[in-house]
Amino acid sequence: MARREHARNLVLVGLLALGLALLPGALTVYIRSFVLFTMMYVVLALSWNIISGFTGYTSFGHVAFYGIGAYACAILVADYGWHWLASLGAGAVVSAVVAMAIGYPVLRLKGPYFAIAMLGAAEGTRVIATVWDGLTHGGLGISLPSVETSMQTYYAMLVLMAVTIASAYVVGHSRFGIRLNAIREDEGAAEALGIDATRYKLAAFTLSAIFPAVAGGIQAYKVLYIDPPSVFFVQITIAMALMSMLGGKGTVIGPIVGAVLLYTAQELTWVNFPSAHLIAYGLFIIIVARFVPRGLVGFAIDRGWVRKGMVH
Amino acid sequence: MAHDGIALDVRDLRKAFGGVRAVDGCSFAVPRGKISGLIGPNGSGKTTTFNLLTGVVSPDAGRVLYRGEDVAGLKPFQVFHRGITRTFQITRVFREMTVFENMLSVTSLAVPDRAVRARAEELLALVNLTHLRGEYGGRLSYGQQKLLEFARALMTDPDLILLDEPAAGVNRTLLQHLLDHIHRLQERGKTILIVEHDMNVIMNHCERIFVMDYGVKIAEGPPDEIRRDERVIDAYFGRRRQP
Repeated sequence: MARREHARNLVLVGLLALGLALLPGALTVYIRSFVLFTMMYVVLALSWNIISGFTGYTSFGHVAFYGIGAYACAILVADYGWHWLASLGAGAVVSAVVAMAIGYPVLRLKGPYFAIAMLGAAEGTRVIATVWDGLTHGGLGISLPSVETSMQTYYAMLVLMAVTIASAYVVGHSRFGIRLNAIREDEGAAEALGIDATRYKLAAFTLSAIFPAVAGGIQAYKVLYIDPPSVFFVQITIAMALMSMLGGKGTVIGPIVGAVLLYTAQELTWVNFPSAHLIAYGLFIIIVARFVPRGLVGFAIDRGWVRKGMVH
Repeated sequence: MAHDGIALDVRDLRKAFGGVRAVDGCSFAVPRGKISGLIGPNGSGKTTTFNLLTGVVSPDAGRVLYRGEDVAGLKPFQVFHRGITRTFQITRVFREMTVFENMLSVTSLAVPDRAVRARAEELLALVNLTHLRGEYGGRLSYGQQKLLEFARALMTDPDLILLDEPAAGVNRTLLQHLLDHIHRLQERGKTILIVEHDMNVIMNHCERIFVMDYGVKIAEGPPDEIRRDERVIDAYFGRRRQP
């Protein structure tokens, strides 16, 4: 019965969250920071997966929403003296509005055209952040008032991750989620069967833009300095996509597993082979694409270890 | 003409693609509660007509009256919500979704989960796909996909069902099975319009037949009349084509 499965999953996630909540005091600053960024990538990959995995619209520009959130936090805290938690909310709202404005025209494009349009949109936001001196201080970037933030941001990221996982889980196991899947599989047929694809796509896209904005805000408050190249960094988008694909896009557990594995692998190669870490990273990607093209969850499904489908 | 006997009233429908007038002033009235057929040689405009009726393409001119409302030019999902549903010439099941998810995808979110699940189970049992409910749609045989598509189209209990070549690529046993379902729907008061190349299906199961050629309706009537109609024979075999 599905209800029992949902209860089991809730307990598992609850235990994980409890463990992470009790952990930070016992950790070194380095490890705590590593866990925080791992959680951040879980948030980013899961968000990307809502529009690109569930709905099939591969976004190459999701870093835009992360950057918008980071800038909202930095500007409101540094220039307007807001409390940082309030700035996270503002960042989420701004990001959602921008997502609707971008999504409305761009979600009419399909496949590679959508992907490239999103790449352009993200570059556009970076350029705006660079040239709009009056608001963003341009290329100089923004320094935030220095306070000890590693515990606060750790817990904020933990809460955000829990909310993101819960949202992705609810969407993934709902008939709303099934309808997003239907759009991914065959948009024309989905429309012929009563699904207002434009509305559903826009809803999924907007939802997928909210969590990265909050993550960007928390990240800004943690590192205390941002500038356009660091928060509108293309590689962050690529990481979201790769993590989802490694774990298995279109599932809930896939992007979580992918984010943990890939971020850990990235960190280990960076620490151990600083000169060769990009090569190792590249090799890893090739191996994944060659041997587990549908991701680890897809691999498990194909072998019958995991049931097909999200709703049973 | 008494209007309550008509489910769908198509009037002077026109659609051109570039210089090609695919549908060129086509009119016909689909009788309510009956099985009708729409036939014609390749390229005669049948599929375009179907697409016009279901909102996939919008007409250049003409009207499609359904329950007193012009549904021409509405979006596909809007047409669907008015009680008109369709299947496709080449099956379009959602391939990487399970059979059960395919079924659940259709019904409006306003309908409670429990009711939708019950209906899905019932329809899957009807087409003998219950044992495959957890399998991906794309893993089904072509015939099973046809059945799934048919069952999926019935999730919302539509009043008018448009079937685009239901017999294509389906073995005889399965076809008989499908036709039985179609007759059962008709007995329950549904209106069915079939586009089909298989003349046996059309002649043996449709009460009324519309024949299209070059984008217009050239003949209409019961099977016996259509079988003998000179214009229909001309259209199919090319005798005595007028300049």
